[in-house]
Amino acid sequence: MKQYDVCVIGAGPGGYVAAIRCAQLGLKTAIVEREFLGGVCLNVGCIPSKAMITAAHFFHRAHHQAHEMGFEISDIKLNMKKLWEWKNSVCQRMRGGVEQLLKGNGIDIFKGEAQFLSDKEVIISSKEGSQKVGASYYIVATGSKPMEIPGFSIDEKHVLSSTGALDLQQLPKKIVIIGGGYIGLEMGTYLNQLGTKVEILEANDSLLKGVVEKEVVQIIERKLKKSGVQIHYNVRAQSYEKKGKHLKVKAIKGSEEVTFDADKILLMVGRQPLSDQVGLNKVGVRVNDKGFIEVNAQRRTSVPHIFAIGDVAGQPLLAHKASFEGVMVAEVIAGQNRVYDVKTVPAVIFTDPEIASVGWSEEECRKNGYAELKIGKFPFGANGRAVSLMQTEGFVKIIADAKTHVVLGVHMVGPEVSQLISEAALAIEMGARLEDIALTIHPHPTLGEVMMESAEAALGHAIHIIQKPLGKGNGAQKRPSL
Amino acid sequence: MGLKEVKLPDIGEGVTEGEMIKWLVKEGDVVEEDQPIAEVMTDKATVEVPTPFSGVVKELKVKEGDIVPIETTLLVLEESEGKKASGETKEKEAAPSQPEAKPEKREPIPTQIVSDDYYPPVANVLATPSTRRLARELHVDINKIEGTGLAGRVTREDVLKVASTSAPQQQGGMEVVPSAAKELWTPSYGQGVTEQEERVPLRGIRRKIAEQMQKTKHIVPHFTIMDEANVTELVKVRQQAKALGEQYGVKITYLPFVMKALIATLREFPMFNASIDDEAGEIVYKKYFHIGFAADTPNGLLVPVVKNADQKTLLQVSKEINELANKARLGKLSLEEMKGATISITNIGSVGGTYATPIINHPEVAIIGMYKIVDKPVMINGKFRAAKVMNFTATCDHRLIDGAVAANFLKAFIQRIEQPSQLMLDMI
Repeated sequence: MKQYDVCVIGAGPGGYVAAIRCAQLGLKTAIVEREFLGGVCLNVGCIPSKAMITAAHFFHRAHHQAHEMGFEISDIKLNMKKLWEWKNSVCQRMRGGVEQLLKGNGIDIFKGEAQFLSDKEVIISSKEGSQKVGASYYIVATGSKPMEIPGFSIDEKHVLSSTGALDLQQLPKKIVIIGGGYIGLEMGTYLNQLGTKVEILEANDSLLKGVVEKEVVQIIERKLKKSGVQIHYNVRAQSYEKKGKHLKVKAIKGSEEVTFDADKILLMVGRQPLSDQVGLNKVGVRVNDKGFIEVNAQRRTSVPHIFAIGDVAGQPLLAHKASFEGVMVAEVIAGQNRVYDVKTVPAVIFTDPEIASVGWSEEECRKNGYAELKIGKFPFGANGRAVSLMQTEGFVKIIADAKTHVVLGVHMVGPEVSQLISEAALAIEMGARLEDIALTIHPHPTLGEVMMESAEAALGHAIHIIQKPLGKGNGAQKRPSL
Repeated sequence: MGLKEVKLPDIGEGVTEGEMIKWLVKEGDVVEEDQPIAEVMTDKATVEVPTPFSGVVKELKVKEGDIVPIETTLLVLEESEGKKASGETKEKEAAPSQPEAKPEKREPIPTQIVSDDYYPPVANVLATPSTRRLARELHVDINKIEGTGLAGRVTREDVLKVASTSAPQQQGGMEVVPSAAKELWTPSYGQGVTEQEERVPLRGIRRKIAEQMQKTKHIVPHFTIMDEANVTELVKVRQQAKALGEQYGVKITYLPFVMKALIATLREFPMFNASIDDEAGEIVYKKYFHIGFAADTPNGLLVPVVKNADQKTLLQVSKEINELANKARLGKLSLEEMKGATISITNIGSVGGTYATPIINHPEVAIIGMYKIVDKPVMINGKFRAAKVMNFTATCDHRLIDGAVAANFLKAFIQRIEQPSQLMLDMI
């Protein structure tokens, strides 16, 4: 039996990152993967979806915006097969990169399904046979899978998960998306921009309920509706039936039964942890009632030499959180003094325009005892770069403690905000104050200026919007001092 | 073939050392992987230490009774030839010329398994990520530092300052112990007197008692209030109960009556069934009644606990006391049976003495003493009467309980003891 210091189960963005850091720290490391290196993220999630979204956005702009800039494009056609191949090449390239990195760091890669035999050894089974591997420490990074609801089981033919929705070789004419969360919206946006008719069935009374601030949702909702996406609220999908080539989705709205026609159904109601795959119960690793492995702030499970990271270890189910945990756990195993104490995990949604947020919402700030807040909001419409990009929807909103001006939350909707949010995340981790952002020169002309201007707006004196005058006199604001 | 050292592994729960109670193997024995080789007692429990290798015991490196820090070599094994972990065999066969070849030049991996309820504190103060990490690496709890930076942020300099002024840290521990405090704990003894003294190592239960008592006396400002109770009635009731109990095969002593009277009184005076959480600076009032009672054993004092004594009948409590006392004498009490008392009773009465000033079992805040029953003349309604009299003491933590409160408490308690019928009224 091969013996390792660390065996990582799952080679997604949590697992492979953990394995690399383990190897960097001199630990003899193995990684087990049953499907693809890179996991959901790299193969059927983040990366392919961004490829499709980029392509769709490009197509959409060529159709709808190019003529305004003076391009007379008469005949743009979509070759879906070609797009599919390009998307696959993107994934292929990333997957190859991960493999090289793992091998380059001297990590042994095992293909197959892992099962704990005891808390000291696992058996890895694949078509080629099975073998035992022993390790002093284990990192469980088995991730999550799409959730199903009664009446709809994912077959990737009629009812698609994100995996199927990103693997279409033919563009469906009409789709129904069940679930108005972030995955549903990303898929809906890309398919809509490629020309599919999209209907979204949302069980709540708003999109992205509880995920982002209301004023952010409003911008997205308006844009979706303008693009012809139909959104139905308070609708609960019940079942579907096949009628020839078409599908009929039955749903309940209030007490009425309603039906929707579609070629494909996209089931996007969330993801659930994969904690029942590797025999954790046999070795005493505790799992909570939601299926997440119970871990402490070092991501140690109830069995001290078994760690869990990423989706399987709890919310938020985000690749970058998994990677951070992977690095941390590797260092804990190597005997370093580490704990998961980040202030915040940024979140990005690739709708059109994009959404990004970090830190607390206004409501959360108040819940956490910050009664008085300084809030600044600056629109992309007043930013030169946004106008020249012809993408002026959205804003940056910054929330700070009124007493200390320490930034507590930043919420963005607008062009490329997925790129802008990192500055806000850094500000929160560093404990930056509004002045720190306002007094940092941001280059012109860039979208990043909106971050600086929103901090200025919170302080009461953004340049490119009209605010009450500073200084003396009635009605003038008092200049904040610290 | 090679010599292997078997070390004391980290037994968990932040334990840094253990006491070698007993060797389970001797030199020359053949041992199998995972076979227990020794019993080691720690702060928390006595555990059997297994060997991670198979082989023949060459040398025992520590003696029974030794205090052994973790990672100390306990014994040396000569690896047996026949069975070896296959991975290792291959490595060695591949390189026969270097029998002592260490596996690649890697950083040593800590075999240490940190207990799962311990990890460095999560920072909840304003500080940059690198400053938070620096604090963890210097074993400084950043949450306890008062930040000097803007908006109260803890700066890199703040952390470095605290780290440099605090005493050298224990491995793994985050506590900052001022060096002056340490000196207070180190008494000095004259050297050289050898023949007229016998030196015996402080070991086992004795050592635990010593540590617990010292800790309690250091933390808790004690005071004791004393009074006597006319237990003539109680003696009668107990006589009857004793006879009844015999039918059930249960010996009924005075202790269960005292427990029941105590619980009823605790309901009136909840601060006696409380603790002070020193770290949080909070008083913890307990809504459950776990009563500890001191049991004298050949090895020393033990305090088994009757859990949820308020929910048990007098007969059940009696039975449990007998069982626990028995186990205590035989040294068979589990850790669980000695944990979690909310208040304790010490019964020195069976031996003698009129009054004592016992030490509280911290973090409890009071201990009740009960003493010998004696025949005494007592003045009742202007006439002397022969009466059975028993002394009681209540020793309290003055941080939480004031003298007047203690006096009222003892008065209410004695009222119940003197009128056992009151106990019927208190009964749930």
